[in-house]
Amino acid sequence: MTAYGVGIGWRPEIAGFVAGLPGLRFTEVVAESVHAHGDLPPGLGELRDRGVAVVPHGVKLSLGGADPVEPARVQHLAAVARRLRAPLVSEHIAFVRAGGVEAGHLLPVPRSRAAVAAVVANVERTRAELDVPIALEPIAAVFDWPDDELDEAGFLTEILDRTGALLLLDVANVYANALNRGTDPVALLDRLPLERIAYVHVAGGAEHDGIYHDTHTDAVPQPVLDLVAELCARHRPPALMLERDGDYPLAEALRDELDAIAKASGYPVVTG
Amino acid sequence: MKIDPPLPPGGGAGSLADRQARLVAALTCGAPVPSGFDPRLIDVARVALLRKRAGEVAGQWPRLAAAYGPRWPREFARWAATRPTRGPLRDGWDLARELGATLPAQAGGELAAREAAMRYDGASAPRPRRLPAVRRAAGTTVVQIAGRVWLIGRGIG
Repeated sequence: MTAYGVGIGWRPEIAGFVAGLPGLRFTEVVAESVHAHGDLPPGLGELRDRGVAVVPHGVKLSLGGADPVEPARVQHLAAVARRLRAPLVSEHIAFVRAGGVEAGHLLPVPRSRAAVAAVVANVERTRAELDVPIALEPIAAVFDWPDDELDEAGFLTEILDRTGALLLLDVANVYANALNRGTDPVALLDRLPLERIAYVHVAGGAEHDGIYHDTHTDAVPQPVLDLVAELCARHRPPALMLERDGDYPLAEALRDELDAIAKASGYPVVTG
Repeated sequence: MKIDPPLPPGGGAGSLADRQARLVAALTCGAPVPSGFDPRLIDVARVALLRKRAGEVAGQWPRLAAAYGPRWPREFARWAATRPTRGPLRDGWDLARELGATLPAQAGGELAAREAAMRYDGASAPRPRRLPAVRRAAGTTVVQIAGRVWLIGRGIG
């Protein structure tokens, strides 16, 4: 994949800020927020037309669900990718509905052989419709299943090996999981196939009830930036992007966070 | 020699599908926490989910949320704890309809405007109305013609 450097997730609330970043070459949009045929969200088409890579990021496919992915959702993702001339798409290793009930959030699948098989089958069904590669994102989970057969690195590597998919590594998720499980985030980096990373998410979080939550509505904490530096010292991914999903701060604060990611990764700043 | 029991078929008890459904029910419907999970962490996840939903509904229904002030996340969570999400538009709509006449005027206007602009049967996704409509909620009356909405009166209901 082309080295795009530092980017930011496109959201309607910060569309003006994103469009005003002079060095921006890469952004991501929530796939379900883009119509397959109707008008594009204002400003997104302009970004695409000026050569910014726009990656559709699915959040509702439920690739980790025991049930097959819904064909209409897969077709929508594929259609959005074509409209945006996206170099790739991304989704999560997670499930979001079961038994006909929407969870309203990304939920972890058990790290079991049965769950690996379910994810692999759903990724295959999805790739059959796509013209571009898919990157899979491991999520932040507050709890684990009781009968995991594989550890995190073994589970992820098995899925990537069997699907041939790329990895969307969220360093804030790596940080959150390690903090909440009492494990070492750097040790996980050392066991992941870092050369398979398509791009990286960086986000903020907050602590509630002694648990760190990956909220995307708080500032990026320094330990997450430190982890970006650790990652880039091992293998610098082609792109890293800030994910912010609410409680948007002043433009200056977003600019500072983008510059901090540039500094931690060694990529040029995109803010000026 | 230990022999693994055969994997249960598709949707049977103990299958991945069944276990995922029971976990979602515990997180969204007040169902018991499936055995083996840490009940404290499941509760942390459940509360975080409700907090996230409260923020999303407040984004779609700002006046409804504002009517509660700082009590909004807690009050919404109390209502939503046993109701799985149907998306923030419908969640806020269902709550506002339940509150009905007790809605403060600003939130009533917000509800009336939505009722006039879209047809919502409470069971499937709301759809834009093609014909003009007049709706009233909590004392506010709203007229919709060709997709545009006017507030025409307050305190007359």
